[in-house]
Amino acid sequence: MNKKKPKLLSDQRFIVLLVIIALVVIYMIFSPEFRKYSSILSMLDFSYYDVLMAVGVTFPLITAGVDLSIGTGMVCYALVAGRLIRDFNCPVLVAMLLCVLFGTIVGFVNGNLIGVMGLPPFLATLCTCMITRGISSMVMATPWPTNKQPGGWFHSIFKLTFGTGRNALKLPIGFVLVVLLVLIMEFVLNHTKFGRYTIAIGSNKEAVILSGINVKFYHVMAYTICGTFAGLAAIAYAAVVPTVQPGTGAGLELDAIGGVFVGGVSATGGYGSVIGTLAGVFVIVLLKTGLPYVGLQANWQQIITGIVLIGAVMIDVAKRRRLAKEI
Amino acid sequence: MADAILTMENIDKSFPGVHALDHVHFDVRCGEVHALMGENGAGKSTLMKVLTGIYTKDSGTITYEGKEVEFRNTREAQDAGIVIVHQELNMVGDLTVAQNIFIGREFMKGFKIDDKKMIEESNKLFDELKISIDPKAKMSDLTVGKQQMCEIAKAISHKAKVIVFDEPSAALTEKEIEDLFAIIRDLREKGLAIVYISHRMDEIKVITDRVTVMRDGGYIGTLITKDCTKEDIINMMVGRVIYEEPKTKSSVPADAPVVLKVEHLNAGRMVKDVSFELRKGEILGFSGLMGAGRTETARAVFGADPKTSGDIYVNGEKVTINSPQDAVKCGIGYLSEDRKRYGIVVQKTITENSTLATLEEYVKGIFINKSEEKKITERYIDELSTKTPSADQLVVNLSGGNQQKVVIAKWLVRDCDILIFDEPTRGIDVGAKNEIYKLMNKLAAEGKSIIMISSEMTEILRMSDRIIVMCEGRKTGELDISEATQEKIMDKATRDIA
Amino acid sequence: MESIKRNAFVKKVGFNRIILLLILILMYIAFSILVPGFFGTARIMSVMNYVYFLGFLSLGVTFVIATGGIDFSIGPVMFCCGLISGYTMMNKGAPVIVALLISILIGFLFGVFNGYLVSYWTIPPFIVSMASMNIAKGIAAVYTKTQSVSWPLSTDPEKGWFRNLVSYKGFPVGLVIFLAAAAICAIILNNTKIGRYILCLGSNREAVRLSGVDTKKWEMLAYVICGTLVGIAAIFFVGAYTTVQPGYGDQYNNEAIAGCVMGGTSMVGGLASIGGTVIGVLIISLLQEGILALGFAKDIQLIVTGIIVIVVVYADVMSRRRKN
Repeated sequence: MNKKKPKLLSDQRFIVLLVIIALVVIYMIFSPEFRKYSSILSMLDFSYYDVLMAVGVTFPLITAGVDLSIGTGMVCYALVAGRLIRDFNCPVLVAMLLCVLFGTIVGFVNGNLIGVMGLPPFLATLCTCMITRGISSMVMATPWPTNKQPGGWFHSIFKLTFGTGRNALKLPIGFVLVVLLVLIMEFVLNHTKFGRYTIAIGSNKEAVILSGINVKFYHVMAYTICGTFAGLAAIAYAAVVPTVQPGTGAGLELDAIGGVFVGGVSATGGYGSVIGTLAGVFVIVLLKTGLPYVGLQANWQQIITGIVLIGAVMIDVAKRRRLAKEI
Repeated sequence: MADAILTMENIDKSFPGVHALDHVHFDVRCGEVHALMGENGAGKSTLMKVLTGIYTKDSGTITYEGKEVEFRNTREAQDAGIVIVHQELNMVGDLTVAQNIFIGREFMKGFKIDDKKMIEESNKLFDELKISIDPKAKMSDLTVGKQQMCEIAKAISHKAKVIVFDEPSAALTEKEIEDLFAIIRDLREKGLAIVYISHRMDEIKVITDRVTVMRDGGYIGTLITKDCTKEDIINMMVGRVIYEEPKTKSSVPADAPVVLKVEHLNAGRMVKDVSFELRKGEILGFSGLMGAGRTETARAVFGADPKTSGDIYVNGEKVTINSPQDAVKCGIGYLSEDRKRYGIVVQKTITENSTLATLEEYVKGIFINKSEEKKITERYIDELSTKTPSADQLVVNLSGGNQQKVVIAKWLVRDCDILIFDEPTRGIDVGAKNEIYKLMNKLAAEGKSIIMISSEMTEILRMSDRIIVMCEGRKTGELDISEATQEKIMDKATRDIA
Repeated sequence: MESIKRNAFVKKVGFNRIILLLILILMYIAFSILVPGFFGTARIMSVMNYVYFLGFLSLGVTFVIATGGIDFSIGPVMFCCGLISGYTMMNKGAPVIVALLISILIGFLFGVFNGYLVSYWTIPPFIVSMASMNIAKGIAAVYTKTQSVSWPLSTDPEKGWFRNLVSYKGFPVGLVIFLAAAAICAIILNNTKIGRYILCLGSNREAVRLSGVDTKKWEMLAYVICGTLVGIAAIFFVGAYTTVQPGYGDQYNNEAIAGCVMGGTSMVGGLASIGGTVIGVLIISLLQEGILALGFAKDIQLIVTGIIVIVVVYADVMSRRRKN
């Protein structure tokens, strides 16, 4: 029973790490541009919102559900908050908190539609996806304050800048922050009741109900947390995108969800890891931001991300089939 | 003698179309093992589900520790000290043993679940039960027997006062059953009240103090175990129903041709090197414990699950069966143990279900010939005397026995010569059961060959011409009906091969 | 109430469909009262333009939902079809008829792709939809170099003829074609082996498989039918609206699904009604026209359809719960 396999090699997270390293090496060989510090910095800048969305959506995916509203949701929160900053002199800090609040509310609504009312997850969140997109279409495009404007301090959450001009030293502290959040959520997943029941719901919901656990509560929680992280992602998104455009955001959830599956979450739920998600998202981010460096135009990103998503799930299916054959 | 810790009086419960419990009485005392007996569908499990709040009762009272109670869910029952060790295992496969045992009441250190303490406590529990299971193992990696032990450990850890064992031995080997009995005796010594649901007569005599018998959802009576004989209990269980006369010798002529021959079949972990022959007009019984690999063998033969190796011959010719389509082409039909999941399409009509395996024959050009379809369906409704207002009735509205007849009709329309009946009478009430038996005998007499998988010993002994016994994925015995006894079969079925 | 339900005519048409029809009529009356000038052929023609392409999308997705699956790549795939075929015609000189066939072919190929992954690889349909939605957008953008494509106008002497498929001298040819297609779909669903197997496997896949039916083949076929209809939908879209932009199309997913589930097709599969889908599509199309006519931004439609789907599917969930 206690077969000690060479654990490292069978761990998908480790393999994903190798893929990341391989991708970085390939890019560095083929593109001198990519070797620059500024390129790495900009890649990291554009990864934060993906990572944050992905960390959140890991939880619904582990329950064998999904949240398709995170992409359009994120854009919607950023837009509305941006509007509040411009037109109502809302302090940036309050706007940020509102982003998180909006996300949490939408997540809570999703959770209730799915966990309490019993709607299919993809359908319920497809609807909230459209609703948030509809709302955001009606808000005018708004840039959040730039680095130099008052209120621009929030950029420093993700990128600390010392000095000015060409010699300015920029530190990607957002990465540290994101990794910290990932570690916290990994702890939450593995060592708290919420995390444990999230896994259990995805594995065998009936058994959890029979254990007398308030399944609905934890089911709703999983989506609420996901929404909260979509709200956090909105801040990161506003920090890197010059002007948030109304009605956009569709398709952004694919990067996050794709990353989660690459990171090893099973398509049928019951198993997952937030650290894996982090690694998985970086594969997607590298593909996304790195492709232009090797001469592929940006539109290839969508195609490749789609294929990577299918590929990751195919690996999961093949793994489960092999297991099923053994039993 | 102590007073009853738990008394259920006049419990009544109806489901649409079924009077599941008809004013049932049941009580259990501290320090006693009380058996609850009855055939499949007699209402034993329903009664226990009413007790623990999974179902709400229509009327009647439950008195526990002197107070009238009504639990709204299993959690409340657990907290009060009443725990069920379920027949279907309710385990979260992706979590570890310790995590499963303490699910819903984890030890906490602030926000953090104290997994270390849970492992320690699990080890203590296992020590107490004198079994060795690694609390850190993933639940889905354990054998069914071990999973059962974990269920018991979980029940005990609830500081339970009443433990209900719902057919605990169905999946256990002889050695494991002995362990289980040791545990149960130990619990009795400690003054717990134990409800033991089973239909294995031998066990009842060995382990229980009193027996309550149920039949067709009704309460029949309660006996002191040591004052009654097996026959007393059987009479109470079976009652007025006169079953088909049990076979004493095979009705198959010695020179009947072999229609199906399976050689060295291997499939996954559950089917190891199984070989057998089925002859024309024969009913071949497959006996064994739950998880012995009988269903898996049938599914592999039928092509429903992939096989690793093995040859199959139909009417002497070697055939390749990789999918149910191949099997159906060879004239094999399969009636699953889980009718609702694998047998019928419940939301469709009888007609649509009856022609599901033969639809090609009812297609004219590109259209389905609905009148032809209906004609053949009505013919089989008559022939099997299926009780339904019309062929357009949705199958969901039929009773279990009639649903089973629809599945049988599906294969008869297809004109299958080899039929695999997997637990044909599970969840069917006693009257309908006999009809199914009659039908099977009739089919065999007409020259159809039948493989019958059954966990009910009486059913095996009553129906089979020949019996194959399986244990842990292997064929461990083959008996002609003339030499078969319950003891011989049990001996082969519980052989601890490991 | 019960006696109405038992009436022979009502039974034949279906109680829910009659209610749906009443809603449609009431909506039309309401819009006619609220918006001056709404009543009249001009508006109806405008609604019809929407009905044609949305109708084909909805018909297609009805087959998929009947299997218990989902396809929300249909909108972007439709755009992909319109873009690639249009670009081939306008920039590479392909004849119109070839362009139309290309459109249908691309839809068909996406259907094959989706169906194969869902049925033979058992990848959850929502994941496949998500992936192919983005692949469709990506391919279209790469092929057209992110340019929008405008199809020829009806005044174009050489290429404009395809617009006669939508309307010929004011006669709604498109409606005839759409209704004919719906009738064929209804026959396929109710009177052929394909429909029987699709509905049965949507209800209980394993039982159908264990009856010796090649469920994978039939499940895949549902997606292929859907894809092909999406290819046709693209023709009606460009026939009515001329210009297709890369990167869009997903707003129509929800509307197509809404039309389908409103018509009584159950999200869990096994139960589908083409007649219901047709009425559902009419309602959604009328609604979007009405929203515009009332002076609201067209994006309100996204929100309204979202809410409609939630309500309708919840009603379906509740009715099933009550039955159990």
